[in-house]
Amino acid sequence: MRGDDDMRMRNIARHLHGPVPVSSSVDDRVMAAVRGMPRHRFGFWSRLTTPRTVTVTPLSWGLLAASLVVFAGIGVVREYQVLDVAAKPIASALFHQPPRLVHARPVQFVLVAPGAKKVAVAGDFNGWDPTHAAYQAKQRGGGVWSVTAPVPPGHHRYSFVVDDSVWVADPTAPRVMDNDYGMPNSAIVVEDDK
Amino acid sequence: MEGSSDAVIVGRVLRGDVEAFRGLVERYRDRYSRYAFHMLGNREDAEEALQDAFTRAYRSLVRCEDPERFGAWLFRILVNRCRTLGARRGRRSRTFVSDEVALLGASQEHPAEQTAWREEIDRALQRLRAEQREAFLLKYVEDLGYDEMSQLTGVGVSALKMRVMRACDRLRELLSEVHNARR
Repeated sequence: MRGDDDMRMRNIARHLHGPVPVSSSVDDRVMAAVRGMPRHRFGFWSRLTTPRTVTVTPLSWGLLAASLVVFAGIGVVREYQVLDVAAKPIASALFHQPPRLVHARPVQFVLVAPGAKKVAVAGDFNGWDPTHAAYQAKQRGGGVWSVTAPVPPGHHRYSFVVDDSVWVADPTAPRVMDNDYGMPNSAIVVEDDK
Repeated sequence: MEGSSDAVIVGRVLRGDVEAFRGLVERYRDRYSRYAFHMLGNREDAEEALQDAFTRAYRSLVRCEDPERFGAWLFRILVNRCRTLGARRGRRSRTFVSDEVALLGASQEHPAEQTAWREEIDRALQRLRAEQREAFLLKYVEDLGYDEMSQLTGVGVSALKMRVMRACDRLRELLSEVHNARR
C-alpha cells in the first residue's frame, strides 16, 4: 500500500479511536453470571489463607479448651484400637496413585515439530496444564517428539503445546475446533481395559 | 484492587475469590467495548459480546497460560465472540448509535461535520465483509502488527494483508461516493 493511502486510512481510523463506553450494568450482569458458576478449585485454600476478623469471648475460649480436652481423652483411649484401621487409608493416600489414575491407560502422543525446543501435551485429563511433568514430550530425532502418558478411559480433548506458547492440534487425530479460544483441539477416545 | 496486576487478581479468582473478578471486568470493559461496538455495529450486541467474553474467560480461567497478559487472552476470546455473534446476526440490518456518548471521541473542532463524517465511516465500516472489517479494526484502530493479528485470529499474515488491503480499497470507494454526493 502506498504511503499516502496508508496515511489516509489512518486518518479515517482516527475517527474510530475514541472510547465507546458501555453500560456499567455489564459488570453486574457478568458478576451475576459468574456467581452462578462453580468456584475455582482452589477456593478452600483461599478461605484458609484469606485474613479475617474473629471475635473471641472468654466463654468461647472455655468451650474450645473443653472440646480439646474431650477429644484428646477420646483419642488416647482409642489410640491402640484404631491405629491399624487409620493407618491403612493414610498409607494408601500417601503411597498410591490417585484413584482417578488407577485405571488410566498409557497413550503415546507423537508430533513432528523439527523447529521446536519444547513440546508438551495439555488436555482435559491433566487440567490443560502444559507444565505437567508426566506430559512433557522428548525429542526422538528427526524432529519427532513423543511421550507416553496416562490417560483415563473416556472421551478427551487435548492439544500439543510447542515452546510454551503455540497450541497445535494432533495432525493424526480427529480435530475439534474450540471456537472460544481459537485453539485447535484434538479428540481421543481411551477404551476401558475391562 | 485498582493497583493490583492482572496476575494478582487472576490468582485470587483461581483461589476462589469470585468477587475479585469484578476488578478485571472494570479494567477491560470500556477498553474493549470499542472493538466490539465497531465490529458488531450497535451497543446492544457489543454489550452481549463483552458479557459472553467475560463469563467464558471466568469459566476457563485455569487455561489462561500467562495471567499477567490476561487482557490479551480476553481480547482473543472477545474477537471470537464477535465473529460468532456477527455471523449469527449477519442478516439482521445493523443499527447505528449516534448519541452523544458514542461520539465522545470525535473532534470538537466542527462538531456537526465531525459527527456526520464519523457516522459515514461507521456506515461504510458495516458494509465491509466481516473478515475485512475485523482485519481493518485490528490493524488501524487497535494498532496491532500483522504477527499479533495472526496469533489472535489464527489467519496467516499474507491473508490478513490481503484482507486489510481489500478493506481499505472498499472503504475508500464507499467514502468517495459519500464525498462526491455532498459536493
